[in-house]
Amino acid sequence: MSDHDHDHATGPRSVPSGPSSCAEAATAKEAAYRIDYPLSAARNTRVVALDDEAERIIRSAALLEWGQARFFSITDPGEVLAEVDGSNVPLDEVMTDTNTVVMVASSGENATAVAAIGDLARERGIMTAGLVVTPGALTSDALFHLRPHARILLVPAEEDDLIELLRATRA
Amino acid sequence: MLRTDINELLAQTGPRTPMGDLFRRYWQPVLLAEELPENDCPPVRVKVLSERLIAFRDSEGRYGLMDEFCAHRGVSLWFGRNEEGGLRCPYHGWKYDVTGQAVAVPSEPTTSNFCANVKLKSYPMVKRGDVLFAYLGDPAAQPPLPEWEAYTVPDGQVFTSKRLQECNWLQALEGGIDSSHVTFLHGGNLESDPLFKGSKGNEYNKGDLKPFFEVVDSEGGLLIGARRNAEEGKYYWRVTPWVLPNFTMVPPRGDHPVHGHFWVPIDDDNCWAYSFDYHPTRQLTEAEVAAMRAGKGVHSANDPSYRPLANKDNDYLMDRESQKRGENYSGIEGIALQDSSLQESMGPLVDRTKERLVATDAGIIKARQKLYKAVKALQDGVEPTGNRAKDQKVRSVAIVLPADQSFVEGIGEAMVAEPAKPHTSV
Ligand code: FES
Ligand SMILES: [Fe+2]
Repeated sequence: MSDHDHDHATGPRSVPSGPSSCAEAATAKEAAYRIDYPLSAARNTRVVALDDEAERIIRSAALLEWGQARFFSITDPGEVLAEVDGSNVPLDEVMTDTNTVVMVASSGENATAVAAIGDLARERGIMTAGLVVTPGALTSDALFHLRPHARILLVPAEEDDLIELLRATRA
Repeated sequence: MLRTDINELLAQTGPRTPMGDLFRRYWQPVLLAEELPENDCPPVRVKVLSERLIAFRDSEGRYGLMDEFCAHRGVSLWFGRNEEGGLRCPYHGWKYDVTGQAVAVPSEPTTSNFCANVKLKSYPMVKRGDVLFAYLGDPAAQPPLPEWEAYTVPDGQVFTSKRLQECNWLQALEGGIDSSHVTFLHGGNLESDPLFKGSKGNEYNKGDLKPFFEVVDSEGGLLIGARRNAEEGKYYWRVTPWVLPNFTMVPPRGDHPVHGHFWVPIDDDNCWAYSFDYHPTRQLTEAEVAAMRAGKGVHSANDPSYRPLANKDNDYLMDRESQKRGENYSGIEGIALQDSSLQESMGPLVDRTKERLVATDAGIIKARQKLYKAVKALQDGVEPTGNRAKDQKVRSVAIVLPADQSFVEGIGEAMVAEPAKPHTSV
């Protein structure tokens, strides 16, 4: 009987072998051959503070070294943002050529600005994340204002969560 | 991404490693009770947290867990004779009780008190439900016995299985926290698996494929809420607790039993997934237990050494046709192997400097950070959380809540395990 006559439904399965088999490929030795090249950074992560406490947190994060992240504060109605260096940038420009916006809020102020960011992010397919930095509070206006507009929320977030999130996502 | 040094710190759990020290503050599952089924049954080798141990059950039913190797000349006590209240080395007849104390050294004169000074290192091991838990840490810091609800319900309400996973424990744990993979990888299983199908929650799942997430810090770990649209003005929430260091629970579906996992390091390249299903208020049915034994739900069909029958040596029985038909998104059968095949494919310890995480991975990012902080705090003398009853008496929840409610407050007491209290499920 030639190989071709095997009944594949009931016959013995062939045992995978060689470099393409999982057994071989999943070893530590083989993992060392994972190719090495610079990974692209996140594309222009924008970090936006929604109130004074949030601004304090993003300002201290902004002092660290980042690939392409930029840091802003916003107040209602949210047409223009203040970058940490003091310059004013229109929302439309902030939300151009970025793939992630991280909003930081403690008090629930500036809900109109949150919605402005959220609407634009939805329209342009930009990922949104929110950090609710109200210490100890599970329910807060900050949570409810961010909720419809942030795909993922950290509640409550600690100050260093912002830094960890940015680092882990190569911002 | 994660720096190499932190990756290794979190991954390595052997003796005198920082993460190993943290793990040694917790009772950990080390065997299924069925592995030591009766008095004087064969001893079983146990490797946990990179320590080679031998477990046995003596003539009086006491459990022992101790150094695998005889104090005399280093023979494995797996060959030992389990008889008359102790485990006897077959080489020269030295015999040990369940505390590791030598009780007979027949090669020495009978009048000698030699054996009083010979003791193998041993650890306490207790049976809770159908699992044996052990504590490998400093006796002075031993926490109260485990209080997980699954292991405090009456007999017949819990079923636990275990399976070998051939990668570092952290990769496996992260799968339990990573809620955003469920829609993809396990998407095909909701309506076909007997242990999931037919719940109202499944409708919400299918009606909204792009959940939002809220990661809530809790004392014992994290609560990860996945939120989908329900009826007008309402959200369907699925809440997954993670309790330090390695316990995760899956949110329930309808009246099905609730499942969860312990991801227990064997060494730095392998771990055990201990997977349980329990029902807080009723016996598991025969059909449910049969399905669990057959490897449905979160369980797997295994060989007698608890290695899954579908494993890396047979390419996990990859079925490209079922992948094409969409029955199994990855072409691998069953939730458990869908997860472990991918986690093993990352290699024993994935290089986390090469990750390209995204914002929806915030749960994983936060969990790593909490583990790291717990390790550092312990080095400064601060005892960790997760080993106290109040952390362990936690439930996963599936619930529909008004849109303007924090899920933690909306759930309230439903997250707290109490005897005979029905669980909150949709
Ligand atoms: S899509 Fe997540 S690991 Fe590939
Ligand atoms: Fe999974």
